[in-house]
Amino acid sequence: MKRVFGDRKTILILLGPTLVIYVLLKIVPVMWSLGLSFFDGNSLSGFTFTGFANFGRFFTDPIAIQSLWVSIIFALLATGGQIILGYLLALLYVFVLRKGSAFIRTAVFFPMVLPTVAVALLFRNLVSVGQNQGPINDIINLFGGKSVEFLASSVGTMAVALVMTYWSSMGFYAVLLYTGLLDIPDEVIESARLDGANGLRLVRHIVVPLSMPILISSIIFSFNSTLKVFDSLLALNNGGPGTSTTPLTLYMFQTAFNYSDYGYASTIALMLTILCLLFTLAIFRSSSRKAEA
Amino acid sequence: MITRRSRRTLVAVSLAAVTAVTLAACSSGSGASSGNAASGKDPKAFTVLTANENPTLTAELKELASGACSAENKALPLKSQTVAQADVVQKVTLLASQNALPVHFIAGTAMVTPSGDLGKNGLVLNYEKELKKLGVWDDILPGAASTVTSVYGQMVSLPYQYNIEGIWFNKKIFDKLGLSEPTTFDELMADAGKIKDAGYTPFATDGKDAWPVTRLIGDYIFRSMGPDAMKDVQDGKAKLTDAKYVKAAAAVQQMAQDGYFGQGFVSTDAATATNAFLTGKAAMMYDGSWLLSNINDKSQDIIGSDNVGLMPFPAVAGGKGSIDQWPANAGAAMAMNPKDYGPKVGQWLKCIANNYGALALKKDGVVSGFKINKTVTNVDGPTKMVQKKVSDIKQTVLWFEALMDAKSTSLAQSNVSLLTTGQMTPKTYMSQLQAGIDANK
Amino acid sequence: MTTMKTMAEPILTSTPSGRARSRRALRIVRRIPVWIIVAVLLIVVLYPQFWMIMGSFKTQTEFLSNPTWSLPQHWDLSNYIDALTRGNVAVNYRNSILVTIPAVCLIVLFGVAAGYALEVMIWRGRNSVLLLILAGIMVPGQMILVPLFTFYFKIGITDSLWPMIITYTVDGLPLATFLMAAYFRSVPREVFEASTMDGAGALRSFFTIGLPLMRNAILTIALVEFFSVWNDLLVALTFTTDPSLATIQVGLLSLNDQYGSTQYGPLFAAVSINIVALLIVFVFLNKKIMSGLAAGSLKG
Repeated sequence: MKRVFGDRKTILILLGPTLVIYVLLKIVPVMWSLGLSFFDGNSLSGFTFTGFANFGRFFTDPIAIQSLWVSIIFALLATGGQIILGYLLALLYVFVLRKGSAFIRTAVFFPMVLPTVAVALLFRNLVSVGQNQGPINDIINLFGGKSVEFLASSVGTMAVALVMTYWSSMGFYAVLLYTGLLDIPDEVIESARLDGANGLRLVRHIVVPLSMPILISSIIFSFNSTLKVFDSLLALNNGGPGTSTTPLTLYMFQTAFNYSDYGYASTIALMLTILCLLFTLAIFRSSSRKAEA
Repeated sequence: MITRRSRRTLVAVSLAAVTAVTLAACSSGSGASSGNAASGKDPKAFTVLTANENPTLTAELKELASGACSAENKALPLKSQTVAQADVVQKVTLLASQNALPVHFIAGTAMVTPSGDLGKNGLVLNYEKELKKLGVWDDILPGAASTVTSVYGQMVSLPYQYNIEGIWFNKKIFDKLGLSEPTTFDELMADAGKIKDAGYTPFATDGKDAWPVTRLIGDYIFRSMGPDAMKDVQDGKAKLTDAKYVKAAAAVQQMAQDGYFGQGFVSTDAATATNAFLTGKAAMMYDGSWLLSNINDKSQDIIGSDNVGLMPFPAVAGGKGSIDQWPANAGAAMAMNPKDYGPKVGQWLKCIANNYGALALKKDGVVSGFKINKTVTNVDGPTKMVQKKVSDIKQTVLWFEALMDAKSTSLAQSNVSLLTTGQMTPKTYMSQLQAGIDANK
Repeated sequence: MTTMKTMAEPILTSTPSGRARSRRALRIVRRIPVWIIVAVLLIVVLYPQFWMIMGSFKTQTEFLSNPTWSLPQHWDLSNYIDALTRGNVAVNYRNSILVTIPAVCLIVLFGVAAGYALEVMIWRGRNSVLLLILAGIMVPGQMILVPLFTFYFKIGITDSLWPMIITYTVDGLPLATFLMAAYFRSVPREVFEASTMDGAGALRSFFTIGLPLMRNAILTIALVEFFSVWNDLLVALTFTTDPSLATIQVGLLSLNDQYGSTQYGPLFAAVSINIVALLIVFVFLNKKIMSGLAAGSLKG
């Protein structure tokens, strides 16, 4: 049996194209770029070798450290929220709505397809104050509160950005996890039910363990995309007020493309990649420990 | 109204086209004999890279290509390329490093200065030299030329726009409250207080884009310390942490704390601020003369264009600056690649210099830094007013961030929301900015 | 957010209890919380989209002066005309389609094959390769733009749609491969082993068992990749300067002016057109997913 699934030619045919494209057009450019962390300058002014100077600069640059924290905090809160919401939705689709879930699935997924610029505009309007106040502040006024200018503070901006992220991505994670839940054979669920497991216990002891691979993959994917959050914070409040909601990607982008400091930008990118790696390894480790237990 | 105007425009354009073709025919003949004017080699096409967000310039160049410059276009066809404004620095750096710069291109402010990436590498054409050789240097307004030279350190951009900035005000509200144009900053603040008490927003402010707020800091500095105040900072003769500079930041912070910018101005965007002014909810708005396109648009301008006035930023008591030194700019840098500058490109340049001013004014009401070589009738009232102010100007000043590097500019603009909301002191704001400028030296 | 948390409850309440006297009445009562949740959910996700479509009929002044929830005063299509005539919308749509479809096909094709090779096939080093591909998800995409631009320029394809198609494929592949591997992992190995009992090779098993079994997953990934490619702005901006190669997202930029002002009406009109176009794609694919579901029930 093993020989059939160990056939070299088959592996080469199936994996070859991906690997060639991937190494040539992703790994090589990434290495090229990351190598520039040790240089200063850009492709027009030329590069000068500076050794580890950029790394020293990173750890003494207050904006870089601040951006690092923005990325980490955003990733933790965004991932937590969107995976929980997505999983609850997926459970709703599979076990409550069942075959009738198609319309809801489409509707909840749909915010994902809207351009970020339009979504940011929508949320800016929802929380606006002043001449043309948005509904959120109307509700606050209704309960006797004073209007809040969310986008004038970093906590407010972060909160709006998170709600915006949940709104637009929960449907995506729901569909992703839903596809995984569908793969659980009905017999397994049925026999568990006959054994007396139901409700929360069924979910905790049967459904969650069985959907673990896709759940872990989703968490990894979510961390890796939210750690690299870029356009939503940019479109919502331009990383402000000040630079207090500027994530690492935005800082890197500005450094490379607006300030033409390509070497330092590569250093920031390298730090971000290391961060993603650490998070991914941490998830792998905790999930394998869980599997052993 | 619109159809009548466009028909008239059409007639005027076709007339202009006929004369221009004959003119162009002559000029291209003479151009060929003085071929030494060109230093580079002609490319295959006249490629022009403009900002995606500025379709007007592309459209006007296209109109020139099919009209006044059709002979030049036949010799060297115009090819438009576009780039997103936010992407300009990256794109131009990439193209330049691949030796693939378009003939005529938009660039970042800091790139085209003598010490910038393009300036250092000899990738920007000196227009003054070439336009003089072509005999059309007169077509550039002296004020525009001096603005371009003082921003970029050399004449490396064509003034497709020539904007002045000041305080637009609603005459009706001023009359109603018995106010007259304030000439000093203290008067302006006193008036703003009265306006606020009357229930209007004193200044409609686009705090999201931040520059309308930093401009006020800059103007205050120019009024109190004279037109060279920011150059002195750049040259190290003064520091932003000096008391007088900090005072400017404090003055603007005070305006915000007094509520003169209106509720929620930090998250107010350009369209919303403009709308508040043009619908009569706000009495004043600091903006450039490009606001004319909104003012002349009847569907946006509810208060009526007769009720719109423009006044300069007022004087600061005991200051060295003067109220008639208007802040001015000449739009984004539009440079030319010397390597592609051949005789045919030279003819294009000449034709643009000859015709752009009148065309832009007639077609889109744009006030440019080119001389208007044909009489243009039917100019909207407010545009005429701005044009008159532009022609009366003796001295201009730059804007707050004009001489700063890209990173300090972005720092100035991102921190200003912290300053105005009181999350940062004027002193910290200025010292962070000074540190940014120092780091770039 | 609190409404979402209660979503676990219907799962609790919907399990058969068996002892109730009037089952039918109880079932209806039990369904009530579900309906409330679904209704709230629909309002939360649909109202903003409705708001955008309403915005597409408002004039600039109306949009900025009237309350957020107000309906347009006139139902005129001038914003749509503006959105469609400004720039080159037809060309933009054509380019978006010409870029998105090949890229998504390549991503899915290569991704499924690689996922199978990495998860179902057994060979030494497959975990390292999977990790290498996972690393691709970690690297910020902005970083490879400059090297890729240089590369495309050197081989002379910058004046075409190819740079975009290739870059999207490269960007989408790691996620597709990684997710496909995860989906293959949740299928019991016996299914594949049984298929090779009659002497068929692994490659045939991939086509006869792997592909049909993964129909849901393939469509899900195709959907996800389709939307991420369709909505991308960064790559499209970097690799095009010629307006005749611009995609729809690049085209939308011309609705902002150089001083930061936005034309709301035409912007929302363009977004609404986009919504309708994508809705058609989505409904079509969703139907496929449902029919795939019915076919997938064979797998047992």
